Amino acid sequence: MTKILEINKLSAGYGPLRVLHEIDLSLDRGERIGLVGLNGHGKTTLIRAITHMTEWQSGSIKFCGNEIGGTRSFGAGRRTAKLVKMGISVAPQGDAIFPGLTVKQHLNCGAFTKEAWKEKEQRIDKIFEIFPPLKKLEHSLVGKLSGGERRMVSIGRMLMVDAKLYLIDEPTNGLAPKIYSSLLNAIWSLNLNDRSMIIAEQNVNLLSKHVDRIIGIYAGKLRGEVGHVELK
Amino acid sequence: MDLSLIPYALNLAAIYSLMAISISMIWSSIGMLNLAHGATFAVSGYAAWQFSIIFKPIILAFFGKTLLANLLMGLVLISSAMVAGAIFGILIYFLAYLPIHDKPNYPVRSLIITLAINIATIQILLFLFGARNKGLPKIFGFGRFEIFDIPVRYDQAGTIISTILILSIMLSWLKFSRMGIEIRAMMQNPEGASYSGISSRTTAIPVLMITGALAGVSAALLSQTIFVSPTSGSIPLIKGLTIALLGGLGNVPGAMLGAVLIGFLEAVVGSIQQRYVMFSTFIFIIIVLIFRPRGIGGLLDDTRE
Repeated sequence: MTKILEINKLSAGYGPLRVLHEIDLSLDRGERIGLVGLNGHGKTTLIRAITHMTEWQSGSIKFCGNEIGGTRSFGAGRRTAKLVKMGISVAPQGDAIFPGLTVKQHLNCGAFTKEAWKEKEQRIDKIFEIFPPLKKLEHSLVGKLSGGERRMVSIGRMLMVDAKLYLIDEPTNGLAPKIYSSLLNAIWSLNLNDRSMIIAEQNVNLLSKHVDRIIGIYAGKLRGEVGHVELK
Repeated sequence: MDLSLIPYALNLAAIYSLMAISISMIWSSIGMLNLAHGATFAVSGYAAWQFSIIFKPIILAFFGKTLLANLLMGLVLISSAMVAGAIFGILIYFLAYLPIHDKPNYPVRSLIITLAINIATIQILLFLFGARNKGLPKIFGFGRFEIFDIPVRYDQAGTIISTILILSIMLSWLKFSRMGIEIRAMMQNPEGASYSGISSRTTAIPVLMITGALAGVSAALLSQTIFVSPTSGSIPLIKGLTIALLGGLGNVPGAMLGAVLIGFLEAVVGSIQQRYVMFSTFIFIIIVLIFRPRGIGGLLDDTRE
């Protein structure tokens, strides 16, 4: 199996603060990984570092065999748009929504690669199949939606791109169990084919039967690579 | 109240809204408080004047003093000012955005650089064209007509109608086109826009070009009333900036409403005593911002972040 993502000795953080310490991680094509850790231990920073939203301090990342950025720091966010076009699609923590756009316009924002834009209508229909409640909210402003609906819009936008790697950061964060279980069911029912997924989550039990591997992250270092990990 | 104040107030509101919307858009989409907007205004005014000198004899020779000649002249003035404004926008992109947008303290640095561009441009214009004011041809002609017994000057009607036309085209482009949605996404959430594959580096170019073109339109229209001079952009810049603040920086409907309010306030105060106009405008804006720190745009906003 070919590797889709290879992270080598990646250290990253904010200014002088180092959050991730020499992380090594590789991901096969079609693989789903659960990234589990407590608050403040580097899950979000790892996802942000993969998308260059957080600057690296050292290390390298290969995506589909190509170096993305190397050890050179390009500045936060400067390469993110390019990486999305290369095939990394993200549903960030806190949704990063556009409150003044309608659900449909918001989903269109996810289709900014040329191929995706051409077939955006079909893709939007597909998203409505995955998240049926969005269908009747098509023309509502995203800023007026509830937390669960916003999360659906955020994940829907991520799925609009025909990506090779999906990164989902804490999809259950702040949602009621009933709402997040239906959201997670929708995510697990996705037919990924040879696309890969990293999903960051605090609750191991939510992931255990649905991902290929669970990796623990503690104090910015990866701990264990098993079905269940014991976190301190 | 003297009803003739209404067209005067709307005329002011039209020009202020063009400036305020531009400043607001630049701030919310690329995080730059563009103090070079006044320079864009002045440069566009000079471009319109230069092109009017070239084209006036040609248009007069072919069409004489007809309505068509006036329309053509208007087209030349507005389009040359818009093109000059857009080109100046690209210059601002290369000088004040591209080299520093991902460096620390970018908002303050860009503020200083755009201020420097503003001052340098005024000096260059003084050097090239001298301190003498230039008058643009009157594209809407002289005279007045009456609507519901309210006398309206041709230039006032022309300015109001052209502004409504241009702003409607621009706002519907922002609302429905792919690039427009990109810009709005960046205005509302720059980080989320990056995650959607919208690059701030490429989207900043059309933002600065469009806002530059809007400054061009306001220069061509305001120059129907005032003369073109190197410092002619200073007052519109200050007015645009304060109205953008009043509307809630980054809020386009807020900026429009702010422009209408300030237009009427200035018209009414000006009819009583001209020297109190600036004073009353600022007092009004300060009072609004004390009670509504997010500006009046916050009142119109029915969504949550």
